[in-house]
Amino acid sequence: MNTKKLFLAAAIAASPLFAQVSAKVEVPYVAFPVKMGAGFDEVQANCLMCHSFGYIINQGKQSKKFWRGKVNKMIVHFKAPINQKSADIITAYLFEHYGNGQEK
Amino acid sequence: MERRDFFKKAAVTAGAAALGSSTLEAGITHQPIDNRKPMDVAFPEKRPLIVYSDRPPLLETPRDVFTSALTPNDQFFVRWHMPDIPTFIDPDKFTISVNGLVNKELQISLNDLKTKYEQVDVTAVLQCGGNSRSAFTPTAGGIQWGNGAMGCARWRGVRLKDILDKAGLKKEAEWIGFNGSEKAAYYETPNFIRELKLDELDDHVILAYEMNGEDLPYLNGYPLRLIIPGSYSDSWVKMLSNITVTNEYKKLFFMDIAYRVPDNATEGETPEKKFPKTKPITKMNVKSIIGYPVDGATLSHKSEVVVRGVAWDDGHGIEKVMVSIDNGKTWGEALLDSGRLGRYAYRAFRFHFKPKGYGQLKIMAKAMNKIGKEQPLAKDIPWNHGGYKYNGIDEVTVEVV
Ligand code: HEC
Repeated sequence: MNTKKLFLAAAIAASPLFAQVSAKVEVPYVAFPVKMGAGFDEVQANCLMCHSFGYIINQGKQSKKFWRGKVNKMIVHFKAPINQKSADIITAYLFEHYGNGQEK
Repeated sequence: MERRDFFKKAAVTAGAAALGSSTLEAGITHQPIDNRKPMDVAFPEKRPLIVYSDRPPLLETPRDVFTSALTPNDQFFVRWHMPDIPTFIDPDKFTISVNGLVNKELQISLNDLKTKYEQVDVTAVLQCGGNSRSAFTPTAGGIQWGNGAMGCARWRGVRLKDILDKAGLKKEAEWIGFNGSEKAAYYETPNFIRELKLDELDDHVILAYEMNGEDLPYLNGYPLRLIIPGSYSDSWVKMLSNITVTNEYKKLFFMDIAYRVPDNATEGETPEKKFPKTKPITKMNVKSIIGYPVDGATLSHKSEVVVRGVAWDDGHGIEKVMVSIDNGKTWGEALLDSGRLGRYAYRAFRFHFKPKGYGQLKIMAKAMNKIGKEQPLAKDIPWNHGGYKYNGIDEVTVEVV
């Protein structure tokens, strides 16, 4: 696992938000339900530095092609630094746990 | 607590209903997902809302809030693109910069904005272009919003035009870039910057610091955001910090790829064959939402029901709202509020009826605007890859007992 990426993920998680209210306020953490399984550590290392797990699960159950497309979108459009091997593992994890059983 | 622990706990349901999608030759459009519930965790200055994400915060307003023309600040939806939002904004030190092709660069403090310029109010609907995106199958790119990525508020601030006049535009000025303070977590991810063409900006565009008589809530863009009445909210930049005037357009992801629809007459395409040319979503189409009763509610057969909801468009104005309680066979005209909040605001509507039988009853609402545009049935709205601009006739189904 890449320590720099983990550090970034932690940095987001830790930053409090202050509003113009008298006391300091913090955006709460939301415990999105995560299905544990092979490949989740790659998701944690690669998919949570820019947004929460909520971005992933609101998509509902989807095909393998859909999940591969999302992982690629992150790499191509948002410049996520994810290598091919990790991308494959993540796609397999997403399809296993958030898949609809269809290849495409 | 470490983030890892949260994943292990995994107790709370984010309310992501699965829309079993499959690949289809042509896309299909249906009613958006309508069964998500607010989470019990409240975000700063907000009541509990439907939560899609905590970082960046994405919160949706539940349907039952849409019974009146103004949406309360603490129930107003929240949408950020980037996870890195400033952790502290000091209202005494905050300034907005105006630079680029201007005669005089400006640094305007919040206090100057409130005291040295004419103060204007506009009541306007703020709606995400992807509101109701979950209506599209196969799943369109982006957050799978239900109907509540919208709200209407009275905004107070200063005309953008007055600020640009003060700075003085140079002759070659053509584009205006707006920067908010949200930042990507990774340095190569495109930031959320908007560019608007000078001639798209009219007198109604303001820089607002107040919402429904209060400071902007932090999560709605404190201390200053852009208000573009009639347009979808993708350009209503939050935590506005910089305005740059240029003569050429920069290529930007969130301008050139996101928030665009097929550039053809129906704005539709098929999943297998996307339309090559696209255009920005810009102006809102005519739409209405029923706030009461909500889908799945139980009504007594003895009740005198008053259906309530809101209707709006891009500022042409709502002509009428029609309601049906017999699956669209017959339609009755709803009563509209006075409309005194102006043409960019919600019009609240109400429609009275007495249930005639028992069992399931579908209530439908359809708005029509002053230039004769009306909401189509969901199934008649062509699919588009970004899932933008859904405005199907709204439906809720209740049980009469
Ligand atoms: C470098 C930053 C970055 C990384 C890393 C990243 N994403 Fe994203 N992701 C984004 C941005 C930016 C958006 C769009 C944000 C917005 O508009 O709210 C997004 C949106 C999404 C969405 C919403 C659907 C859509 O089409 O926009 C999904 C699903 C998603 N990401 C999944 C993933 C997965 C899976 C991974 C890990 C492989 C990942 N992301 C890693 C930046 C990133």
